[in-house]
Amino acid sequence: MSGVSAAQTVTIIKDLGFTDVVSIPDGESRHLYQALIDDPEIEVYLPTREGEGIALAAGLWVGGRHPLVVLQNTGLMEAGDAVRGCGIGPSIPLLLLVGWRGYPAASIGALPVDSAYPYTEPLLRAWEIPHRRLMSDEDLGAIGEMAAVAAGTSKPAAVVYGYAFTP
Amino acid sequence: MTIERLDLFSALAAKRTNEVVITTMTATLQWPLVSEHELDFDFLAFGMGHAADFGLGLALARPERKVIVLKGDGGLLMSLGSLVTIGRYGPPNLLVLLLENRNYEMTGGQEFAAGVDFVTVARGAGVANVERIDDLGSFERELPRLLTEPGPHFIVLPVTNSEPLPPVSHTDHSTRVTNLRAALGVG
Repeated sequence: MSGVSAAQTVTIIKDLGFTDVVSIPDGESRHLYQALIDDPEIEVYLPTREGEGIALAAGLWVGGRHPLVVLQNTGLMEAGDAVRGCGIGPSIPLLLLVGWRGYPAASIGALPVDSAYPYTEPLLRAWEIPHRRLMSDEDLGAIGEMAAVAAGTSKPAAVVYGYAFTP
Repeated sequence: MTIERLDLFSALAAKRTNEVVITTMTATLQWPLVSEHELDFDFLAFGMGHAADFGLGLALARPERKVIVLKGDGGLLMSLGSLVTIGRYGPPNLLVLLLENRNYEMTGGQEFAAGVDFVTVARGAGVANVERIDDLGSFERELPRLLTEPGPHFIVLPVTNSEPLPPVSHTDHSTRVTNLRAALGVG
């Protein structure tokens, strides 16, 4: 088991110039969500569903802001039409921080396997959304790396976190 | 009472100056017949039901500029939760004009649940300024106020249409975004 520091993640998010975070928190990201809420330099928006959040983030970006989207893999699946229509199609470089529900148990062979687990990375590949894994503080560079990929390609990119954020 | 949709669009186009106007789906296919403006943004095919969500983000990003969203009631049903988000974060520069014809026009006019009251739903979601305007004269009288008064506003407009619809035109999505950002001065 591992995890990622929410405080360090927020520092990186700010250093990369993100101005807004659109997030529907999952159990694994609640510490990150709280750290973002507590930071006065970041605007945080909590939509009611992930597709709505993707469209909101796209509007922010078109208006000149630099949004990050934080959502669970289940929400990514729900948001498919918005990811297509507000990210991939119009070349809007959204960075998606995706919680990988099911990974901790599946990675140690525990049963039953959460049905959200096996489709996460294949779904990103099917949408041609490049991604990196974020499993510990040592991987935090993945956020900047994929932010650069999104900006360089004008397409969405993703960072997938497998464990709960720590405070 | 209802409003002939093209008359409503003409009235809006006559008073609109430097506001962004976001349109989407069949309910707004006639907008280009009355408007050709660099701040018109065609959201068609950007994501089913999400025009107001996109407009909310744009309004939050550009607080100095009014953002008008023209959308149909069927599209609203596809992202009804967005009213809660508008109720929570809706900025003063957001104006949503809901074109109410009580059916899914794009797919052949299938009627949806007859009991839906969009004014009550929006108020219950916490949207600050919700109004129903039933006739063209009232819309023309209230429009200058809606374009200047701090919102957010959510206006329900019962519409009919007796005019032919222009064909659906899927222009390049990226170009639409590039053009709007340029018109807004976003690099």
